[in-house]
Amino acid sequence: MTEKVNPRQIFGEVMIEVAEKDERVFVLSADSFGGSGLRPFKGKFPERLLEFGVMEQGILGFASGLATTGKIPFVVAITPFVTSRPFEMFRNDIGYMRQNVKVVGRSSGLSYSTLGPTHYSLEDVALIRAIPEVVILSPGDPVEIRQAVHAAVEYEGPLYMRIANAPLPFYFKQDHPFEIGKGVEMKTGDDVTLIGTGFALHRAYDAAMLLQEEGIHARLINIHTIRPLDRELILKAAEETGRVVTVEEHYVVGGLGSAVAELLAVEHPVPMRIIGIPHGYAENGPYEELLEMYGMLPEQIAATVKRFLGA
Amino acid sequence: MQSLTTKEENELKRTALNIRRKILRMIEAGGEGHVGGAMSAVEILTALFFKLMKVDPQNPRWPQRDRFVLSAGHKCLVLYATLAERGFFDDAILDTYGQLKSKLPGHPDMHKLPGVETNTGALGHGLSIAGGMALGLKRDAIDARVYVLLGDGEIEEGSNWEAAAACSHYKLDNILAFVDRNFLQISGRTKEVMDYEPLLKRWQAFGWSVREVDGHDISQIVSSASELPFEQGKPSMLIANTIKGKGLSFAEDKAGYHFWTVTPEEWEIAAQDMAAVERGLEK
Repeated sequence: MTEKVNPRQIFGEVMIEVAEKDERVFVLSADSFGGSGLRPFKGKFPERLLEFGVMEQGILGFASGLATTGKIPFVVAITPFVTSRPFEMFRNDIGYMRQNVKVVGRSSGLSYSTLGPTHYSLEDVALIRAIPEVVILSPGDPVEIRQAVHAAVEYEGPLYMRIANAPLPFYFKQDHPFEIGKGVEMKTGDDVTLIGTGFALHRAYDAAMLLQEEGIHARLINIHTIRPLDRELILKAAEETGRVVTVEEHYVVGGLGSAVAELLAVEHPVPMRIIGIPHGYAENGPYEELLEMYGMLPEQIAATVKRFLGA
Repeated sequence: MQSLTTKEENELKRTALNIRRKILRMIEAGGEGHVGGAMSAVEILTALFFKLMKVDPQNPRWPQRDRFVLSAGHKCLVLYATLAERGFFDDAILDTYGQLKSKLPGHPDMHKLPGVETNTGALGHGLSIAGGMALGLKRDAIDARVYVLLGDGEIEEGSNWEAAAACSHYKLDNILAFVDRNFLQISGRTKEVMDYEPLLKRWQAFGWSVREVDGHDISQIVSSASELPFEQGKPSMLIANTIKGKGLSFAEDKAGYHFWTVTPEEWEIAAQDMAAVERGLEK
């Protein structure tokens, strides 16, 4: 579990895999392909990497139009510039038109920790969740990133995926069964349920291990698909453990925690904690220090869970 | 350049009258609607759907078809009327305008009606979508064109100019865009609300090949738009000078009729206006 991989590098490699397999796959770049891990893709498929410069609104319209001709466009850029900047294009041209376009927000969350709030993306899940029907993927390890991209190509319809910059550890084998909308129980336990997603999953995992050492048996669920949410798995966990804690590198407003709370409030209310970034303009600084400031490190997550349990 | 025979021109004028009457039919059903910009674009859509475009109403998703993108989605009445006149769907649907779950929302929905290519209404989206279509068609070596209708108020949206640059950058000479230049927007004269003149030079500076026509002269539109592209390797632009509310004597060139809530007196005048055009055609 010590090996860690750059998620953007994996993403770039997988894009080549899917492009080799399916000639409909195109990449649209907003002056951003290098930082998206797509330099090798451009080397291999120069005709299928369409550069739009810093044209962060119309690029989604172009993707929508390309999709009407049977292409599968992947629009990839720094997260806020493909979500909050062109929100109306996402909603109308991709969502409402139900186009087969894949939008990938990379360097998400607090990845650009020294660059400040203009470059963070702590509300992208909230925004895209507000658009009906768009599938939202938040893969939790390098294998899942690979599988998520393959699943995105196979799925016909609008899809959003978020990845970050920090190297990720491996949890899953290459044959890990990844299915859109199906969460993964990574650890059994009946004292509390921890639900992690995306690039915060490994912190939730480490927290669950720390709790285990202290005799607290947390069930750990990986939600790699925020929509459609795996209702069954989450409801079962809520019923069996009685308490739920979500962990995500996103605002505590509108993200995974909200999605889970919306489900549980109606179907099976249980006490809950939402661990994420508080709703404010986040500070800037070294990534790990910033995460520590917001209580996102594994030992802090474990401590929050213990307080929650009154342990 | 293609020119129309007198007979053809008269037939197209008759078609334009039918389209105006269908617009009124929907407004009668709903009691209100975006009439001004719909009326100003009637001749443009008549020329496109009845002379210039390769479409098949029986097979609206035919991959080799020409596409029409109504970027100024609030002009939907002219699109609905034209599609009905062209046989994409039954005229009776026009009488549902304004009803619950009508297939004719106040801005078009491609999933509700055959022949509608895009969901527009928010301004400044259509040209980018059209650009993507044109790029995809070129990549597939499909000899089809993408026609776009923009409003002259609409082009104040900055996103149009992103698209204008990208269409030129990718040499999308399979696009012909129209600006329906009726010189008005909701709040008044475009020049006073937000001045985008000189319009021709702006489009030229963005790499487009630009011509100007009288947007109510079907012959002029057909002869200008029949040979495309205007210049090899460049997207084409027709600035069509029009009159907002064209055909309704009380509404012509008045910003107040961007959206019309019908009064009985005006309805009477509208009927007389249409009858007068019809008498003119019979002469």
